[in-house]
Order: sequence, then C-alpha cells, then structure tokens
Amino acid sequence: MAEVQLRAVRKSFGAVEVIKGVDLRVPSGDFCVFVGPSGCGKSTLLRMIAGLEEVTDGQVLIGGRDVTDAEPSRRGIAMVFQNYALYPHMTVAQNIGFGLSLAKRPKAEIEDRVRHAADILQLSHLLDRKPKALSGGQRQRVAIGRAIVRDPKVFLFDEPLSNLDASLRAEMRLELAELHGRLDATMIYVTHDQVEAMTMADRIVVLNGGRIEQTGAPMDLYRHPATPFVAGFLGSPRMNLYEGEAARAMGARVYGIRPEHVLLSPERGRWHGRVRHVERLGADAIIHLDVPQLGDLVARAAGETTLAPGSEVWASPQDGTEHRFPA
Amino acid sequence: MTVLSRSVATAPPARPRRRARWRPALTGGLALLAALVVFVIPFLFIALQAVKTRREASRLDFAWPTEWQAWENLVEVVQERDYMLLLAYLNSTIITVGSVTLLVIFASMVGYVLQRRRSRVNGVVMGAVLAGLMIPPAVVPTIWVLQALGLFKTIHGMILIEVAYNLSFSVLLYRAFIATIPRELDEAAIIDGAKPLQVFFKVVLPLLWPVTVTNIVVQSIGIFNDFTNPLYYLPGRENVTVQLTLFNFQSQFSSQMNLLFMNVLLVTIPPLVVFVFFNRQIVAGMTAGAVKG
Amino acid sequence: MTERRARRSPYPTWFFLPAAVVYGALFIVPTLASFWFSLTRWNLFEAEFIGLGNFRQFFREPFLVQGVVNTLIYGTLTSGLKTVLGLALAVLLTGRIWFRGTLRTLVFFPVLVSTIGVGFAFEAMMHPTRGVINVALEGIGIDGPHWLTNPSLALVSVALVDVWKGVGLATVIFMAGLVSIPQDYYEAARIDGATRWQQFRRVTVPLVRPATITVVTLSLISGLRYFELIWAMTGGGPGFSSDVIASVIYKQYQAGFYGLATAGNVILFGLIACIVLPLTWWFNRREVEL
Repeated sequence: MAEVQLRAVRKSFGAVEVIKGVDLRVPSGDFCVFVGPSGCGKSTLLRMIAGLEEVTDGQVLIGGRDVTDAEPSRRGIAMVFQNYALYPHMTVAQNIGFGLSLAKRPKAEIEDRVRHAADILQLSHLLDRKPKALSGGQRQRVAIGRAIVRDPKVFLFDEPLSNLDASLRAEMRLELAELHGRLDATMIYVTHDQVEAMTMADRIVVLNGGRIEQTGAPMDLYRHPATPFVAGFLGSPRMNLYEGEAARAMGARVYGIRPEHVLLSPERGRWHGRVRHVERLGADAIIHLDVPQLGDLVARAAGETTLAPGSEVWASPQDGTEHRFPA
Repeated sequence: MTVLSRSVATAPPARPRRRARWRPALTGGLALLAALVVFVIPFLFIALQAVKTRREASRLDFAWPTEWQAWENLVEVVQERDYMLLLAYLNSTIITVGSVTLLVIFASMVGYVLQRRRSRVNGVVMGAVLAGLMIPPAVVPTIWVLQALGLFKTIHGMILIEVAYNLSFSVLLYRAFIATIPRELDEAAIIDGAKPLQVFFKVVLPLLWPVTVTNIVVQSIGIFNDFTNPLYYLPGRENVTVQLTLFNFQSQFSSQMNLLFMNVLLVTIPPLVVFVFFNRQIVAGMTAGAVKG
Repeated sequence: MTERRARRSPYPTWFFLPAAVVYGALFIVPTLASFWFSLTRWNLFEAEFIGLGNFRQFFREPFLVQGVVNTLIYGTLTSGLKTVLGLALAVLLTGRIWFRGTLRTLVFFPVLVSTIGVGFAFEAMMHPTRGVINVALEGIGIDGPHWLTNPSLALVSVALVDVWKGVGLATVIFMAGLVSIPQDYYEAARIDGATRWQQFRRVTVPLVRPATITVVTLSLISGLRYFELIWAMTGGGPGFSSDVIASVIYKQYQAGFYGLATAGNVILFGLIACIVLPLTWWFNRREVEL
C-alpha cells in the first residue's frame, strides 16, 4: 500500500508531446481510474508509472520514493495487461510464479505463494493448465494472480476487461472491486469505458489531449463537471450540450442538460418540439426530439412511455440540474 | 432493396449443378496427367538409369532394365574414389548442422531487436539485410578475406560463409514472426524482473519454435544443396561436399550414366526425407512475406 | 529539469553483434573491397592499379559482352515464365479440383532437389538423338531440335529447365497470396455479373499483387545471380553461347584473372541494382496509387 505521486510529468515521442505536464496524487489504498478517449495519453501515463515508458520530464514517486529512473521490477508495482500477456508456453502455476523464480526464491516458498494467490482467485484446480486451455475470464484471473503474487504496493490495470464479453465484464467489475477491498492496495486502472470508471472508482481522473481535465469522486464529476468535455464524457446517453446562440440565450458559452434531467409534458414547458425517434431499452426509453430553439434534444423517459415519432411535446430542465459553462 | 434485387437479376444464372460436379474431376485428371509427364518422368528417368547396367544406361532410354544392378551400382558409387561420397556426406552434414545452428541463434537475436526496438540503427540493419538478399557475393575478395583470417579451405570457414549468405532470409523470417508475438509479453516479463537475456531466452525464444523449425528445414535444404559456394571456398579433395561428388562421373560421362544417376538419387534422399516430414513448414517458410510484400 | 540517467533498454543493441561480425567480415568487407580490386591487376597477394582496364576489357571481348546479354535474357526469361506459369498453376491449385494435394506436391518437389542433379538428368534427356524428349517428339512426327548443342538454343533450353525446377516456389508464393484474398470480393463480383475471366483480371490480379512483386523480384535476382544449372548442363557452351556473368566470373577466377573476375562481380552487382531497384521503386509507387 503506497501513495503514487506524479510531479509535472511530461512525455514526448520525438517532436510529439503526448503528456503535457501532469500533476497528480493518488492516496494510499485508493482505487483510481484514468479515463478518457483513445489517444488522450491515459495508457502512456500508466506505462510511465510502471516504468515501461521513460519519463521525458518530471518525477514519479511511489510511496514517497522517487522511482523515475528505477527498473520496472524495482518499483513495487504489478501490472495486468489488456491482452493478459500470459506466457503461452508455461502452465498457470509457472505463469504466476515466474517472477518469483526469476528472483531465485526457494521452491517451497514459490509453491506456497502461488497456491495462496490461486486460492484467492479460485484458480487452484487450473494450476497445471496452459493458458490456451482457459476461458477469457480464467485468463484474466491468472493475470491478476500473477500480480497478486508479487505482493505489490500498487496494482496497475491497463484496460483489463476490454476483451471480455458484456456479462463477464460486469462480473469481473464486481470481483475487482471486492479484490480491492480485500487487498487494500493502491490500484490505478485505465479504461475508456465510463461505466467502468463510474462503478469502480474511488476517484476518477479524466484525461484529454495529454492533460488532466478533472479529478474527483465519480458522483462529484457527474454532478459538477468542470468542463464541457467532462460533462460530455461521463454519463450515458451523453449530456445535451449547446454552443452559440442557443447557449447565449441561456446565459452561458456552453449550456448542458442531461437526458435524465429533461422533463417531458404534453401541455407546457420551456421548449416545444417534435419526437423524431424513440429507442425503447425496456426499463426506460430514449426520446430524440427536434427542438427549433436548440436543435436536437435527447431525453430519458419511462420505458412505458406512449410517445411516438411525430408527437408534439414540451420539454423543460429539472430545477438545479442545468450546467452553464462560462467562456 | 430495389437496387439489390436488380443487380441480382442481372447476375448470370447460376451454373447448372450437374456441370459443376464433373468439372473438378476432369480438370484434376487432366492436370494430374500433365504433371505426371512433366514432373514425374524426369525422376523416373533418374531412378531407372540408376539401376541399369553401364551399357544399358548409356542408351539414355526408358527401356526396362534387363538386368537389375541397383545394389552393385550403389556399392560402386559409395566406394568410388576411396569412399569419397561418405566423406562428402560427413562434410555436408557438419556444414549444414553448424551453419543452421548459428543461423537460428544469430538471426533470431537480430530479428527480435530489429522488430522490437525503435532506433536509428534499425534503418542501417534493415538496409544491410536487404542488401544481403540482392547483392551477389564478391567471390575473389571473399577468398582474400578468408585467407587473411585463415579460414580458406576450412570447414568452419565454409560454415561462417553459409551463415553470412543466408542471414538475411532468416532475419526476415524471424522479424515477421516476432511481430505476431505481443509486446505485452516482454513487458510482463520485465515487470516480473527478467533481464534482457532472460526476456529473450525464457519468454520469447520458446515462442519462436514454429518459425525456428521453418528456418531449420528451409536453410538446411538450401545449404545441403549448395554447390557454388563450396566450389569457390572449399576446394580440396578432403573437403568435398555432396553436390561436388556428382562431378566425379562427368568426365567419363557417356559411359557411367548408371553411377551418375545413382549418385543423384543418393544426394536427393535427404531433402526428400525432410520434405516428407516438414512439407508444411517448408511451404510456410518459403511463402512468408509474400502476402505482405 | 531533473538529471536523467538513461535506463538500459530491454532490447540491447549488442544482440546484433554476433551476426554483424560474421556478416560484416564475410559479406560487407569483400563487397566493399571488390570496388577497389576491380580496378587492379591482382593475384591475391599484390594488386596493381590499372584504372578501368578490367572493365574496358570486359566490354571489348565479344564473349564477355555476350555473357552480359545472356544474363539479361536468362534473368527476364526465367522470371517472366515463372511468374506467369506460377500464377496460372496457383489459380488451378487453389480452385476446386481433384488430386489437389498430389498436384501441389508434384509441382513443388523439384524446388528441393539438387540443382546439379536436375541439370545432369535434363542434359541426358535433351540429348539430340537418344534423349527421351527428342525420341518422344519423333514419335509424334516432330524433328526435335538440338537443345543444348545448338548455340542459339542452348541458353533458352537451360532457362526452361530452370523454370521447371523453380516454378513450384513461385506457385506456393502465389497460392499464399491467393488464399489471403477474402472470398467476399469474388462473391461481390459475381453479384455484379463478372465472368470468370473478369474476376481473374479485376479481382485476382490486382489483389495478388504483393505476391507478384515477391515472385518477380526473387526470381529475377536469382536468375541474374546463379549459374549452377548452366554449369551442370552446358558449362557455358557451346563456345560461349550460354555463358552468363556468373559463369564468366568463375572461368576468369579459374584462369587466375582475379581482377577481371572481380570486375565481373561489380558489373553483376551494378546490373542487378539497375534492374531491381527501379523495379521495386516502380512497384511501390503503383502500390500507393491503388
């Protein structure tokens, strides 16, 4: 368990600067999620913490120790990769114990620690298999086991669930959250999926274009996004955002309202519009409206709504849920 | 919808089923017949002459031998010039095994770093690799260098020559294959505390086995069949290699055709055996890169 | 700005070293040295600078000039035939056809056989009166030519044997290219009403292009460089009618004209570079346009 700190970290590949000065403190024991669109630098940042990418400028501290120039294996970290990166020619037990055997630990100790990690992850019955003979979820667990056995101060996850199907992903989200609770270690987790970010994080770091856009607890970011980018990135369906004339009319440079905060009424409201399309998801329905004053407006309604394409409807923002971003 | 149905309507009517059924058989049969004439008859010819008597073989025809002399010819070829063929087999085997071993180690290391590392050196290395594929070796200056190094007319000199001349091909094979091994594996090993040599020998090299087999098979056939390079760099009776033994019977050409072709047969057996067992790897190796260009 | 100590790369450059030493000493150094020695009269111990004398001699002697011309003929003929026949065979052998496995094996096997052995076998079969080829031709009423003893035919005859031996390699390369073309294109073309020939012209030929480039380049380079088959079948004869640069180099070497032999090497290098480099450049340019 250790605090991770980045001080004015920069990274360039040739002439291209991909990380443009990042300052961040991840408190000890935190589950911190880096989220952002592809190309925002989140993976690069994680790999710099791991020591897989050199830091162009700035410092990386783990547990108060400057590890900027330390070998990856000397940083007290473990990493779980997107494609699991299991050694295909080794059994599950050898995969988990590889680091320990490289460190020339006694055989009995290796066996002991491998079995302990396998127990935590319910892998004990698979120890003699090769990765090829495992399912996606099992492979994921082995990759985590390989991390656990190192007994690291910090766990790093690079989009670990993106290769799993939807139901397995939901299951693993829960498992990882429980694992965090049990191991009580600092975890840094990279994803482009805002659902993973919202559901798992103690703290979300939203990255955009090599800079930190905003940092905070998931619901804080959801309620009080600091920028239109964060507002648009977190939440599904995404927030309705308006610029220009429509926004100026409501006293902002950028005006935003989440679909779940748009109230629809047949008689009265702030905006009048016509239903263009209805997406029925079951529990609720997503209503796409043409509103002359704004343009397109998306609203979330109850699943049993009787609105149909062509209906005329009034829409208004719920009190206190409007977002006005200054210039 | 209309667009789709219109284009379907203008498509030619599906070929009648019945015609499609006999067509593969007919083309296959004709092709087989042609292939038998073109590709099998020369080998039959070799085999047939190899078992004839000297006089019958000199007629160069397809007549069935009146007298089978397979064993006598075999013994005579092996005993020719004081068991030169056995010596040649020994030399060729040493050269092939030695150079292929070095090729596998050297080329995999080069292919690995070449594929993995982004650096300015890579352009130079890649240029050298392509030059090796294209430039014909400068024969006499090579002899000059070999003499200066004390390697001319030596088996180990020959091994190093084969390594130098065949490196490019092996490097390209390894580089292409290493590109299919996720870099995350190296990184996982690095985080597990592996040193560069450990990453390569414990994690990467074991995964290269398929392409290593391809390399071994393709290169050993090429080196075993090599004629020109031993001709230049390995002169001398005690250094003879199998391809050069074929010239033993050329001077008395018309009178010893049976022995000549028995010798050809014996020299063809090792590649044949390898082909039977490693057909797939050979084709894989020789076509590697064809798709990507 | 903190002081940076460059960490050791996990991919150390010294991995190049063993290969570089062997390759540098036995390939690069002789290649570079050849430029100097081609300008000398040389007996391996002493080299006397004679300027472009060797090259002048090379282009003055008619039989040496013939070697250059023959090299070009041999290279283009073998490369062209291997490409065309290889593609045709590959289309045949990837289609729906009986005996496919057997046919593939038959076509490919000569690639693996000793070139010298093949050369001797065909030399015997091409014997003007007793050879099986002419005997067979006689059987159907054709007076077979003197394949290897007619000076104007000898080179072509050897080239044909070269194609016989090497077409299997071209075929498997084309086969690999063909199977990598997604079937969707053919289905789309058929829905668009393309005939078999149109499918071949408009889908197969453009999409098999990387394989074509490989086959053309590989067979051209080897056709220009190697002389094993010529050596086994004609020894460059009759006269010098089937000599190529590579066999000339060997003959000059045997005769002790080391400077002249090395000049031959430089000329061969120049010839290959002048043909292959523009060709690859042209291929690559066309690829961008596609």
